[in-house]
Amino acid sequence: MRACGENCARILSYLDGRLRGQELDDFRSHLEECSNCLAKVETERALSQLLHRSRPLYSAPAELRGRVAAVVEEHATSALARNGVAQGVLRLRSGWADKAWRVARLRLLAASLAVAAMLLAFVPHFVRQARAADYVETAVAAHRNYLDGKLSPELQTNSPEQVTAWFNGKVPFAFRLPRAQVTLQSLPAYQLTGATLVKYRGKPAALVTYQKLTERISLLVASTDSAVVAGGDEVRAGNLIFHYRTDQRFKVVTWSNHGLSYALVSSVSGSARESCMVCHQSMADYRNFIPGP
Amino acid sequence: MQLEPGKNHTQLTIDFREYLDGLFSYAVVLSRNRTEAEDLVQETCLRALRAMERLRPDSNIKSWLFTILRNIWLNQLRHSRSSPNAVDVEGDENPVHRIVDTTAKDPYSIYLGNIEREHVRDAIQQLPLEFREIILLREYEELSYEEIAGLLGCPVGTVMSRLARARSKLRDFLLASPPEKRIAGGAIETLAWDPARDG
Repeated sequence: MRACGENCARILSYLDGRLRGQELDDFRSHLEECSNCLAKVETERALSQLLHRSRPLYSAPAELRGRVAAVVEEHATSALARNGVAQGVLRLRSGWADKAWRVARLRLLAASLAVAAMLLAFVPHFVRQARAADYVETAVAAHRNYLDGKLSPELQTNSPEQVTAWFNGKVPFAFRLPRAQVTLQSLPAYQLTGATLVKYRGKPAALVTYQKLTERISLLVASTDSAVVAGGDEVRAGNLIFHYRTDQRFKVVTWSNHGLSYALVSSVSGSARESCMVCHQSMADYRNFIPGP
Repeated sequence: MQLEPGKNHTQLTIDFREYLDGLFSYAVVLSRNRTEAEDLVQETCLRALRAMERLRPDSNIKSWLFTILRNIWLNQLRHSRSSPNAVDVEGDENPVHRIVDTTAKDPYSIYLGNIEREHVRDAIQQLPLEFREIILLREYEELSYEEIAGLLGCPVGTVMSRLARARSKLRDFLLASPPEKRIAGGAIETLAWDPARDG
């Protein structure tokens, strides 16, 4: 007969139905003789039942279900647009995608025409990528000039309100830095240091500078009419898509929101939420952007 | 979830609804943060959709999805250089879901069930990460030891021993909870095992 301790180690295997043949017979025989192991089996069984009763451990919230449904539908539609004309066979379904599929079939003609129109208009994917790379290149060049002292902020201030007022009328888009609404005693020290104008595709763009300890950070802002963000490693955070890339040893994060394209350039890696913190650290909603564990 | 036999790589059928609770639970267990968990699940689905065409027809989709989620989380952890200790998993979900989930039960059973579930969650969230993770994967998602070993990148023997230790620790936490949380039909008391009791 096996030692009791050795049989105890087999209890989980027994409850999982992983014991077979002679091994199972031996264990059952042991249980008939050992009330100690039998009691252990019962407590383990009770624990399993308790855990099984509490399934699921967490339920996916409705908002998340909606977000995933949107992702599936968007992917189904774009997949059709990419492959529908050539193959007409790509089937991408989910519970939601069943609906998306029906809708997408109705959109097939429109999608096909859209693809054809894009091809005819010579606006393929790489053009968008090239424009995005162009925006990143401009942001990195501005940042490098800022670091080298070739580009000094025309406005030197730590006041978001002054920066907002200074850009008013200087850039062809509405640009407003969030106002400070909370004390920052316990927050990361992204210190606003100034602002200046740079040119992007012949139009004025806003360059805002920050400092975190010894690290200098710049944020290039331009209208989405001229500045495209795409490529890199994409990370979704809420409704935003952040594009991460390394360019000339600099870490660049780009995203677009409310008609503006942003390019954050620094030498440090950061999460999407940390990128948000550069501006939002002083907003009432800053807690939404504090990097998580 | 299984792939439909005979279909090529571009003809997969994935019903994400089937996995959302599991993925979300795993994300909460890893991050201990519901907001981050939602982002993790959304990103997992997005990457899964993009990578689906490269998937072999005989792949285990559930393990694959959980692996994607875990890799995203590890990547984000490396980026943020943060520790997985901040907890905001309390005060959590919409009570409507509980009602929808439990309409077949009487109100008292629902009440007891919710108390019990909260109690179990609290105990699980007190466990170290490697224990939380393995309890979720095995006891809630019913992944096999081999699947868990593949997901975690460790031998099956390690999975088994870690699971045994995790269950033991979890039982301790459950039994150490305040008496007011133990009203679910005395279920928690049945976990007490005293080796001296029966010799």
